[in-house]
Amino acid sequence: MNDRFQRESIGDGVWFSSVTDPKFKHNRISANLLVGLESETASVNAALPFILRRGCRSCPDFTMLNQKLCELYGASLSCDVSKFGGYQVLELSIYGIDDRFTLDNAPLARECAALLCDVLLDPKLSDGAFDEQDTALERQQLVDTIEGQINDKRLYALTRCKSLMCAGEPIAVDKYGSIPDAKAITARSAAEAYRRVVETAQVELFFVGSGDPAEAKETFRKAFSGIRRSPAALEKVQTALRADRVREQTDEMDVAQSKLVMGFRTGEIKDRRAFGGMRMMVALFGGTPTSRLFTYVREKLSLCYYCAARFDRLTGLMFVDSGVEKQNGRKAYDEILRQLDCVRRGEFTDEELTATRLLMQTSLEAVGDSLSATEEWYLTQIVGGAQYSAKDESALLDEVTREDVIAAAGQVTLDTVYFLTGKEAE
Amino acid sequence: MDQQIVKSARLGEEMVRIKHRSGLNMLLCPMKGYSTAYATFTANVGSVDTGFKTQDDAEFVDVPEGIAHFLEHKMFENEEGDAFERYARTGASANAYTSFDKTAYLFACTGNFEQSLEILLDFVRRPYFTKESVQKEQGIIGQEIRMYDDDGDWRVQFNLLAALYHRHPVRIDIAGTVESISKIDHELLYRCYRTFYNLNNMVLCVAGNFDVDTVLKVADRVLKPDEKPVEIERRTVDEPDGVCKPLVEQKLSVATPLFEFGFKGRAGAPRENLKNQVLDELLADIIAGEASPLYRRMYDAGIINATFGSEIMAGRDYMCAIFSGESREPERVAREIKEEIARMKREGIDERMFELCRRATYGRYIGMYSRVESVAGLMAATYFAGVDDIYSLLDIVADATVEQLTERLETAFDETRSALSIVRPLDE
Repeated sequence: MNDRFQRESIGDGVWFSSVTDPKFKHNRISANLLVGLESETASVNAALPFILRRGCRSCPDFTMLNQKLCELYGASLSCDVSKFGGYQVLELSIYGIDDRFTLDNAPLARECAALLCDVLLDPKLSDGAFDEQDTALERQQLVDTIEGQINDKRLYALTRCKSLMCAGEPIAVDKYGSIPDAKAITARSAAEAYRRVVETAQVELFFVGSGDPAEAKETFRKAFSGIRRSPAALEKVQTALRADRVREQTDEMDVAQSKLVMGFRTGEIKDRRAFGGMRMMVALFGGTPTSRLFTYVREKLSLCYYCAARFDRLTGLMFVDSGVEKQNGRKAYDEILRQLDCVRRGEFTDEELTATRLLMQTSLEAVGDSLSATEEWYLTQIVGGAQYSAKDESALLDEVTREDVIAAAGQVTLDTVYFLTGKEAE
Repeated sequence: MDQQIVKSARLGEEMVRIKHRSGLNMLLCPMKGYSTAYATFTANVGSVDTGFKTQDDAEFVDVPEGIAHFLEHKMFENEEGDAFERYARTGASANAYTSFDKTAYLFACTGNFEQSLEILLDFVRRPYFTKESVQKEQGIIGQEIRMYDDDGDWRVQFNLLAALYHRHPVRIDIAGTVESISKIDHELLYRCYRTFYNLNNMVLCVAGNFDVDTVLKVADRVLKPDEKPVEIERRTVDEPDGVCKPLVEQKLSVATPLFEFGFKGRAGAPRENLKNQVLDELLADIIAGEASPLYRRMYDAGIINATFGSEIMAGRDYMCAIFSGESREPERVAREIKEEIARMKREGIDERMFELCRRATYGRYIGMYSRVESVAGLMAATYFAGVDDIYSLLDIVADATVEQLTERLETAFDETRSALSIVRPLDE
């Protein structure tokens, strides 16, 4: 079921993709700028979507811009920076109701596309610099965001484990960069980064919704035709396929519940079938409420409040993360590895395999019910060099056998163990 | 069987309300083109229900804090194993949650809808608690409570509620405390179950990819007909009008201070609360939404960031408006908000801002009718509020007037009934 997804080039390294479905009541249009993650540029790049969100030449005042969005029936103009494998993705998107549901038949999809295009490509620049105040505010916000990463201990521990594991590689670079780099951003350095990104990034534009994407496509095609593009080829992100030894790191922090994260490498994945096997193995091991980790480590042994495994399809890394009482850390570690060994030896039932497949298929089939999930799905596909639909992947899982799962588990190696623990009892 | 179709001219959609012969109320909204079906089976009980009796009980029973949530956890298990294992055979993604005044059991599926619905309607009807299983759950929930002890966003909210309310149980964590749940035993759980899990007091809501006949077929097969209705009396607390304390602070491992600044409202009947919730959301948007002059002033001063937002919390007998976010100067944010509200009370609500925010709120509410999860959620919320037409929320927004909001501004945003909660970094 690939019929609704369309993708075409509308400029040098500029792609426009659309998925339209009349069941939706909204349209979501987004611009994603893909660049390689580098520690030197990560911070200044990360600030760009947020500086751009402050206003554009056609709507230079932040409050005016937000009022304009109210007029567009509360359309939301969002900006974000995310990490796909070793790439940094700078995103600006607009999400609004379809023209059919306005009280006055306003051409909302067209106006939303035009506004998004202005915000991306016609910013408030003067004398080769962004507005000083906008830059100062967003610089501080970025610093706060980086410092604030510690608030979510689960995510913090996971990120920390990943960066220990891939030290020196693009995968280890934080999507927001570092505090010193963020503090060094100026109105001029941001404008230079903006020009570089707009000229060189791979640009992936999306229109997902019930409206007609044609006008949005023309708007962006025209706007990009005025830009001298020299897209830089995105280097394929690579990290070691196997771990040669196990590294351990423990950090102490003021927390009531400790976090244990284990990073694994999953080896070479030869073909689609092997990929399906790996995905199912990780899910069976720790990705569902019936998985080995949930059933044994959490439910039967009550060692953790959560214990889950996830697979990053773009880097081939697998992480197990758990929230655990400090004194149970070692026990949880042993049990997690014991469960992985069970999967390696094929000590799981056919019912477990079926349950895993069905649950994964439920979430894959549901992708098409959400605008943002649809967009994220295809963006991940594109970054990974493919164009399969979620339904294709659901069908792939039907072919995966017990042997594929065992083989997948057999090529997984433990690389890094990270333990975030509470300080000694005070 | 009583059946009624509710239509929306604005959206060109419809749903059906059914009173099943078992006593169960059903709200069903098939949505064309969707792959997912989303079903919730909801009981009208939550963390605030700490004292109650039925028409058959002589005395009120006072139950430990956190029992509704505990009961939710325990429902998944019976003699034959746990419900997740049964769902595992259908591929449905199942879950449950307990809020202040509701407990919902739910699943999402893209196939095997009939079998999954059968599991849902069956396991929630078959309580099974033993001394041992209750003890084991105390350990698991204890860990859950401890996890939330580290969660700044969670702590800042419950600290606020404890500052706004003197005695109302909304001030207590939904999961209770390690101490309170230690007092839960299987007999109390059965009593709680018998009181609140009567089909006449529950609602089944389904939205998305399914057909109505399948639901009726499963209900006919699984649910015993004519369950005797239970009348529930809840112990009311004598909650003073004012706040408990105006300021509460805690230190936790967070980077930037988190704050919640809340106004204690005056709750009315559930139906009125729902309408007021919609109006107050609109009003909070006019006061401090992204398009407001106040938001701009605070953002430019660097005292709020993109995490700033507002929320109206309304339930059976409580209601409050909350502004929250991260800030280096939370007291200053609270002061700015109070001053802006005072100014609006003096000078009146700006007509243009009203129009802009009404339009934006209308667009946002359209969004609630377009996802299977939110449609099911809306159906349950309107049902328990005694509102028959789920689409009427759109009318409340479309028909809102400045006069209505002016009145709400006086009652729902009263400076003398406000409190500020701050979670500060450890080293501050």
